[in-house]
Amino acid sequence: MSKYLAYREIVFRDRQLLLDSLADLGFSNVDMGDDLPLYGYQGDRRSETAALVVRRQDVGSGSNDLGFAKSEGGYFPIISEYDKGTLLAGQFLPRLRVAYAERVVETVRKRLRGSVHRVTDGSLVKLRVRY
Amino acid sequence: MPELEFTIGTASGEFQLHVHGIAGPACDDVAKLVKKLLGNPSHDEATAEYRLRPGVRIRSLANTRAKRA
Repeated sequence: MSKYLAYREIVFRDRQLLLDSLADLGFSNVDMGDDLPLYGYQGDRRSETAALVVRRQDVGSGSNDLGFAKSEGGYFPIISEYDKGTLLAGQFLPRLRVAYAERVVETVRKRLRGSVHRVTDGSLVKLRVRY
Repeated sequence: MPELEFTIGTASGEFQLHVHGIAGPACDDVAKLVKKLLGNPSHDEATAEYRLRPGVRIRSLANTRAKRA
């Protein structure tokens, strides 16, 4: 059984942008509520709860539920050790942060009615918004 | 022309914003919106260029929360 880890230092402030970012990564089916229980890959209920949950069936074979708990600053991920290491080749959390950041940029661009120019430099993506 | 330069580290998910050529209150509006969506930055400063060019404010925001090992 893979234990759950809570990443309280990774906070996504805006719920809709987080949902959009999850959809960008292919996880568009998300349960929403208060204190939703998390289940492990064998259907075993765990002690952890979350406000947003991607159910294990939508995560992958052998996966556990993937949750986001609400804190004062936003939503933080609760992910099993197994899924952290295997989901999206172990890049789930960095890729989610990138997807969220890109959603933030798009939100700002729309608000300013600007244009965006994208440049990739190695592992860095630079997005310049002009308006 | 006002420009916002966002830098995203694809390996870490770290996020930086540099605001160029935007006068004070408008710059604060942009910074406020980004903070609303990202949270308070780990680092926030008016750069040296701002001090050299009165009336044009350049800010640097970094959201670089530590990654758990």
